[in-house]
Amino acid sequence: MKTIKKFTHIDAKTVDEAASILKSGKASVLSGGTDLLGTMRFEVLPNYPEVVVNLKSVSGLEYIKEDTTMLRIGALTRLEDIAQNDLIKTRYSALAEAAHRTATPHIREMGTIAGNICQLTRCWYFRLPDNRFNCVRKGGRQCYAVQGDNRYHSIFGAVKSCFAVNPSDTAPALVALNAKIKTNKRLIEAEEFWDMAVPGSTVLAVDEIVTEIQIPAPAAGSKSAFIKFAIRKSIDFPIVNCAVSVAGGDARICLNAVYNKPFRPTAAEESIRGKNIDETTAEAAGAAAVQSARALPGDRNKWKIQIAKTMVKRALLACA
Amino acid sequence: MSDDIKKSKNGEKQRTGHVSRRDFLKDAGLVVGAPAIGTIAVTSKEASAQDNADKDQSEGSQIVTTVQVEAAKAIELTVNGDKYRCTVEPNWSLRQLIRDEIGLTSPKDWCGGLGACGSCTVIMNGRPILSCLTLACECDGADIETAEGIAKSGHPIIQAYIDNNAFQCGYCTPGFVCTSKALLDRNSNPTEADARDALGGNLCRCATYQQHPLAVLQAARNLKNT
Repeated sequence: MKTIKKFTHIDAKTVDEAASILKSGKASVLSGGTDLLGTMRFEVLPNYPEVVVNLKSVSGLEYIKEDTTMLRIGALTRLEDIAQNDLIKTRYSALAEAAHRTATPHIREMGTIAGNICQLTRCWYFRLPDNRFNCVRKGGRQCYAVQGDNRYHSIFGAVKSCFAVNPSDTAPALVALNAKIKTNKRLIEAEEFWDMAVPGSTVLAVDEIVTEIQIPAPAAGSKSAFIKFAIRKSIDFPIVNCAVSVAGGDARICLNAVYNKPFRPTAAEESIRGKNIDETTAEAAGAAAVQSARALPGDRNKWKIQIAKTMVKRALLACA
Repeated sequence: MSDDIKKSKNGEKQRTGHVSRRDFLKDAGLVVGAPAIGTIAVTSKEASAQDNADKDQSEGSQIVTTVQVEAAKAIELTVNGDKYRCTVEPNWSLRQLIRDEIGLTSPKDWCGGLGACGSCTVIMNGRPILSCLTLACECDGADIETAEGIAKSGHPIIQAYIDNNAFQCGYCTPGFVCTSKALLDRNSNPTEADARDALGGNLCRCATYQQHPLAVLQAARNLKNT
């Protein structure tokens, strides 16, 4: 097995200390390590971090607590703890299911919710070892997937020329549940959290660290669900996933792995508004969700459009 | 820390200060099965880095933005009930520490360190985790169980694996055994579905998948009877 190239490791005592080290631009923040250490071992990115700042040494970032208005989850809470938590399973089911379907049990025991929403794309051009392709996500000028093997890539176009997709399972659940992401600098609406960055997937500044996830307490009678399509039942990243939250005739729908960031098909939400969710209305919503979907040149990812349509339908029916 | 250059059996020079697994096992005289303190004097190449590490840790509020030398760290951890004191470099994975330095070779490498196969699974503080994606320097104070320890403790999962033919080449087996034992520690009455779910991160090229849940269920029954 390839030994990870050398670096300096610092156990941060506080979030502020970690942020000030990150400000140098030469450091990477480490929580669970299941994404970062892989990128370092295979030297995927153009710039190797001189310093790795461990956040796990900061106390008080791992918790799940609910008060009358919201659920608060500490940034370093493990995905498996979220998946197994009875409170989240009953009242915020889309998130529990999304966490449960993420990766493998081992990765869930190590990986954190903050790490999961901040993870880098899995586009195979981006991820090839030794920074083989200097794509737009690396600061280059080209997306190699457009004319390449794009069977898993975006069906809703590019963001700043990048056609890769966001691979997170928890991200769409957070959007559907109307979550907010708290950082050491601000409070961000989940929907505003993701963007194409070089090489990141979020709007976070270089010295900005996620500290907490906040989800508003569910309205009475509301339901949420999460569905994932992948080749294998475990391990695989999503090909398409979908989270839905339904309350009082309104649905919040979020697809992921279909676009550079989690995608809210507002046309689908419009089509289901005020209607009883059944086979017909869910089918119509699914069709509306992919109205603007287009396969990439070569039609290699055309199959994802049908899957996205069906995921929306099934996620809605799960909330009926 | 000494800077000895040790020669292996065929006269090759080894890395400065490096203690090979073979030398350690010979010299440390660890009594198999008895709790012992094993000290591994593994030096980092830059002795001065050790001094820097100690200094950084005592001045907790010092903020460093550019550091020239990576600093080795002294850690203490328990593996299968034995306490170890090691000096580890920041880039060492836990897997490297367990295999190459401590000398327990059950955690394997299959996917190259991507976290995609589960063959490096060990139990750390009760959780089944991937040792290839865990940094050794972050394991200070950790309580680790490997398949060797599970076997030595006479856990019924081992006999259950034998009885149910749950391995062929045996390469993936330590990872599966660790994951299974961790499941049984938390859930003394798992269903077959629970077992499948828990083992979803362990791959097997010999395709023994059908047998593993049966072995887990047998071990669960045996644990109840003891």
